[in-house]
Amino acid sequence: MNNYTIISVFATCCYLFLFLAFMAAKKTRVIKSFMTVLAAFLFWTGGSFLMRMEMWPGYPIWFHVSIVGLIYLPYAFFYFVHALTESEDRIFIKIWFILATINNIINVTTELYIPCPELVLNSNGQTAFIYDIGWPIAILLVSAALMVLHMLILLIKNSSENPMAKRQFIPIFVGIIALFIGNILTMVPFFSGFPIDIVSGVVNAFCMFYALYKKRLFRLTLLVSRGSCYAMAAAIAALIFSNFIQPFSMFLEKNMGSIGSYSILVISLVFTLSTLLLYSILKKFIDNVFIKEEIFQANNLKDFSLAVSKSLHVDEILGELVQVIQNTISVKKVYVFIHDMDGQAYTMVRSTSPLDNRNIKISADNPTVKWLLKNDECLMIKDFKRTMMYKSMWEEEKRQFSNLSVECMVPLKDGDDLVGIVLLSGKEKGMNLNSSDISFLDSVESVASIAVKNSRLYEKAYQEARTDELTGLLNRKYFYLTIQEEVDKIKDKSSLALVILNVDDFKLYNQLYGTKEGDKALSRIASIIKASVGNSGYVARYSGKEFAIILPFYDTLSAKNLAESIRMQILNLNKRSEDYALKVLTVSGGVCSYPYSASNVKQLVEYADMAVYNAKRKGKNNILVYTTGEKIDVESPKQNLGFKEGVYSSYASTIYALTAAIDAKDHYTFNHSKNVAYYATKLAAAAGLNREMIELIREAALLHDIGKIGINENILNKKGQLTDDEYEIMKSHVEQSISIIRHLPSLDYVIPAVIGHHERYDGRGYPRRIGGEDIPLAARILCIADSFDAMVSKRAYKNAYSVDYAVDELLAQSGMQFDPKLAPLFVSLLKEGKLEIQNNTGKEDVS
Amino acid sequence: MRFEEKLEETDKGSLWTEYCGFLDLTIPEFMQIQRRLMEEQIRLWSNSHLGKQILNGKNPTTIEEFRQQVPYTDYIDYADVLLQKRADMLPDEPMLWIQTTWEGGKHPIKVAPYTKGMLDTYKTNMVGCLMLSTSDGRGKFRVNPDDTILYGLAPLPYATGLFPLLLNDEISIEFLPSVKEAEQLSFSERNKKGFKLGLSKGIDFFFGVASVTYFVSLSVASMNKGGSGNKLKSSASISPAMVYRYMKAKKVCKEENRDLKPKDLFRLKGFMCAGTDSRCYKDDLEDLWGIRPMEIFAGTEPTCIGTEIWSRNGLYFFPDACFYEFIPESEMYRNMDDPSYVPKSYLMDEVVAGENYELVISVLKGGVFMRYRVGDMYRCIGIGCTADETYLPRFEYLDRIPTVIDIGGFTRITENSIQNVMSLSGLSVKDWIAAKEFSENNRPFLHLYVEMEEDSFLSNAITIDVLKEHLGVYFKYLDNDYKDLKRILGIDPLEVTILKCGTFSRYQQRTGRKMRRMNPSSYDIRELVNLQNEDYRIIGGRIR
Repeated sequence: MNNYTIISVFATCCYLFLFLAFMAAKKTRVIKSFMTVLAAFLFWTGGSFLMRMEMWPGYPIWFHVSIVGLIYLPYAFFYFVHALTESEDRIFIKIWFILATINNIINVTTELYIPCPELVLNSNGQTAFIYDIGWPIAILLVSAALMVLHMLILLIKNSSENPMAKRQFIPIFVGIIALFIGNILTMVPFFSGFPIDIVSGVVNAFCMFYALYKKRLFRLTLLVSRGSCYAMAAAIAALIFSNFIQPFSMFLEKNMGSIGSYSILVISLVFTLSTLLLYSILKKFIDNVFIKEEIFQANNLKDFSLAVSKSLHVDEILGELVQVIQNTISVKKVYVFIHDMDGQAYTMVRSTSPLDNRNIKISADNPTVKWLLKNDECLMIKDFKRTMMYKSMWEEEKRQFSNLSVECMVPLKDGDDLVGIVLLSGKEKGMNLNSSDISFLDSVESVASIAVKNSRLYEKAYQEARTDELTGLLNRKYFYLTIQEEVDKIKDKSSLALVILNVDDFKLYNQLYGTKEGDKALSRIASIIKASVGNSGYVARYSGKEFAIILPFYDTLSAKNLAESIRMQILNLNKRSEDYALKVLTVSGGVCSYPYSASNVKQLVEYADMAVYNAKRKGKNNILVYTTGEKIDVESPKQNLGFKEGVYSSYASTIYALTAAIDAKDHYTFNHSKNVAYYATKLAAAAGLNREMIELIREAALLHDIGKIGINENILNKKGQLTDDEYEIMKSHVEQSISIIRHLPSLDYVIPAVIGHHERYDGRGYPRRIGGEDIPLAARILCIADSFDAMVSKRAYKNAYSVDYAVDELLAQSGMQFDPKLAPLFVSLLKEGKLEIQNNTGKEDVS
Repeated sequence: MRFEEKLEETDKGSLWTEYCGFLDLTIPEFMQIQRRLMEEQIRLWSNSHLGKQILNGKNPTTIEEFRQQVPYTDYIDYADVLLQKRADMLPDEPMLWIQTTWEGGKHPIKVAPYTKGMLDTYKTNMVGCLMLSTSDGRGKFRVNPDDTILYGLAPLPYATGLFPLLLNDEISIEFLPSVKEAEQLSFSERNKKGFKLGLSKGIDFFFGVASVTYFVSLSVASMNKGGSGNKLKSSASISPAMVYRYMKAKKVCKEENRDLKPKDLFRLKGFMCAGTDSRCYKDDLEDLWGIRPMEIFAGTEPTCIGTEIWSRNGLYFFPDACFYEFIPESEMYRNMDDPSYVPKSYLMDEVVAGENYELVISVLKGGVFMRYRVGDMYRCIGIGCTADETYLPRFEYLDRIPTVIDIGGFTRITENSIQNVMSLSGLSVKDWIAAKEFSENNRPFLHLYVEMEEDSFLSNAITIDVLKEHLGVYFKYLDNDYKDLKRILGIDPLEVTILKCGTFSRYQQRTGRKMRRMNPSSYDIRELVNLQNEDYRIIGGRIR
């Protein structure tokens, strides 16, 4: 086998391999045009080789095959460059194709341009082809030159317009120069007998292949399929065996004796084994040379997918994400940002190094975020800088990205939502991210997005199950689980303290300002506790207005100190200027610790509760520690009363001062208030209310008309009917009472009773027009007492009604103006003589 | 990456998008950029000592609150901080302080700080202007690093001196002469040197104040004239191509019987001009250079804020230089008549075609000037342009606001400065008005209408020439820029009309109002002048 044969075989194999490989690729216009070039080369080189081998069905046929390829080659080149430069004008594709086809038809039918050579035998017995070429070949050369010239114009024009394209076209230029030089060199005597033109053709084909590869028009992994490797191996084996089959068969028959008779079988076996061997060598070679990186990426992606599919924790998934990106594309830094719950920003939650400053946020209206929301792909910062969206970036944001050396942003998306962003800095050794890296990132992004979405859903559900919705603290159920777990963990090794904080007078707070304001207050208290406890323990909403703090490794004193600090912060909560209108919030707390004062969870909770109760009894707004042996005597009203008396005696002076003030202005109102206090406390006692409530009602009764201090004396003391306007002014005494009492934090608990004493049971009263049980009980009691005294007292324009009349009226209005249970009860007290009629003279109350 | 490297490595389409892509923006997209950058600016400015000083305890957080709570400002509001260059008071660290004249006579200079963000934006927008100046359609431009530029603007510390500095940061375009050399040369030397270098290296770009550019361009013709002025031939370094062009041009000029024009020798790729009264010179400049200059809108306080495009069919504002507000002309006049009245302003998405506006800017990226009345008038000539496929409002620069008279982009004559001139001159001027008017060949001049004291005619020689000469001397004395008009452009922009004694009083008697002194409407001036034809006399100081 001479040089010519070997190189022709090699060139044909190369073309065939590339052609078969591209059969598997996605057929874009450029790929199709490149396959056309390969086909032309294949026809030319293959035909020429088979012609020289004088293969069946005879060399003239193979000659024409070769010339067809040669005539189509300039057209194929033009087509390829046209497609590569993305030129618009397609008319020339058709023109040059028709011209090449006509030339081919003419030559095949008439052999006008290149006639079939004559086969002659040399003196040394070798065959040679003698060509007799005439002037008509010039036509062929001119048409080929036109196509090549047009192709060059396209290339040059595109290069000058587009500097980027210029670099992409360099391999094409190199290929063309190689082809040209190769054909020139055939005339140099040194290369006589060596098919340098065919070698240059192969070089050209590989240059074109490289140009396509650089343009990323195909993926090598897709090209190097099992099928194309098999075909390649089979083709090479067939070529080899077609040359060696005869000498090998003869060798077997001559030298192997008995085996020689099975020569066909042996040859088939050797052929098959050789093909397999060739296949594996080829595959390994291609894997190592071309697609090592892609396989590495694919394996890493597979490992990553597997790892994240096993986890439901966002943090673990993000850790894996950072790891896989850094391992695969060796970027210097990876930062992961996750969408905040409030949706305002993305916060850094993970990065390559734990030493990185993670106190960084990307605003949700950052233009890069908007870009990522719109596009489902990676964002290269250098490309983004060229967009108009970049113009709206803040200088601070630009500095932030610059400090992080961000080069690429990868979105983590959940449908249309952007749940997170991965920021990548530059690669090691100053290399740029290439398109293979980008496609890897795209794949990682889609896997990570799904994993993050699922894990976030899981974590949200997990969080919701264990937390209290309003405060975000642990709920009661998880409080018990957690405290049990912590106690089990600690056992005899250390201590654990439990603090229970109970908000004082919270029901009143709700009544005064509504449940919405109450909820706000609870949230604020919760955040104070959470911030104070931090990572030292667990905070739970133990009940409606109670918070529990589990403090592992805390002793009693430390726990008490912490509780004290929290109490002080809560006390200062409503002291801000904007909250001046709100009642001061306080908490009473109990502390109990394990194992010093309790030996199990049940005791721990029970004793802490007990300490809270004691704290309440001792005047609220304090923290008490449970000590062994302490009991609460709930049965001792005496002790309780003493405490209450103590408390109320401190308010007495305030109440006295206020009532004295109204007495000075309007003596009737002063007497009326005293009478109402008497009737109301009697009714309250009869209704079974406790002493504390009775005392509250007494105070409310004394203060219920305190707002009349603000009413003009002419209206207050007017003899005769009030006008509509005067009546409206008179009605305003209720609000005025509230506005006075509100400034006395120690008495503000009487407000619900005072504000409601003119409400009617049927909802037609004032000022809030509430009805039924919505009216506080104390207010309903006051209403009856107030009305009764008004009726039986002498007024400026009327005499006192008789008690019987008043009783009838109370019963008649029962269920309308008055509580249907309390009004009959009041009447029965009168009838049973348990109530003494109080004397009063003066002006009439407006009822 | 510098623009020069991008030219090598990036395709033209991407470069166009990066620098001129703002022309593709829709109004909502434009406003989105404006609003976002303004939010940043409000935050930076409000937190600065200067901002707090002007805010006076207010705390606006949104753009709407800001526009409601922050008053319009003038340079006087910033003068105490800026003139002392108190960087600690500013919203962001200044990289450069740029200087300009403030008001002739009264306040010699004003300075403005430039932050890094402002300079970066300026740079990007200037490169955009450079590309657009060579463009004859969307996406088309011809800029090369080996291009040359003839630059007819003042060096640093004036704002115009930033252009070569910033441009050379991006591309090695050769300035003729080099920036360093130019700083050492006088104005005329610089021009001569520039043209001389242009003869050997060619001139690809020309950028200058329109009036100056025109004056410089005329000097090319004078270079060709005989006697000692035959400098073109004597230029030793003239290139062979230029010799050929020169010979050809000589022949053409002879045939057409005209002077040599720059277009005969140079083929400009891009031609940019700036400054007040540019429109008066554009036609002539086009005739001289064979290419219509593209107007750029820049200033010391606002930076580079807008540019014309390939069709030269109106100015487009850059979205990232300043936040723009527009006071309609009627509101502006109402405010002039009643300074306590706060005129309404409108945003870019609210302007109406055909309406004249006074521009109010807030400089973005850490700038100091907020709701600043620059003192420029613009007319909105249309919203978008179908032919150019643009959507943004297009504007035309009209002039300075009526209270300021600017001739050829040089002076800043105010009522105050004219009053100073009158006082210093010692002339017995009883009353006056001043108006910017245009000559028959469309050149601007300052027209003073004066009424002398009746007695002064008896004791002083008062003719128009005497007054013109006399006042001119004091204008030059008080205002260096006015002096430059004569020195650089060789023009004397002052015209004086002496009105009959009692005309102003007669006018007031007739109309019941006093005429605005600066730039009253041309109808009012005509009425005033026509009043002289009426028969009235002054008796005992009163008109009869």
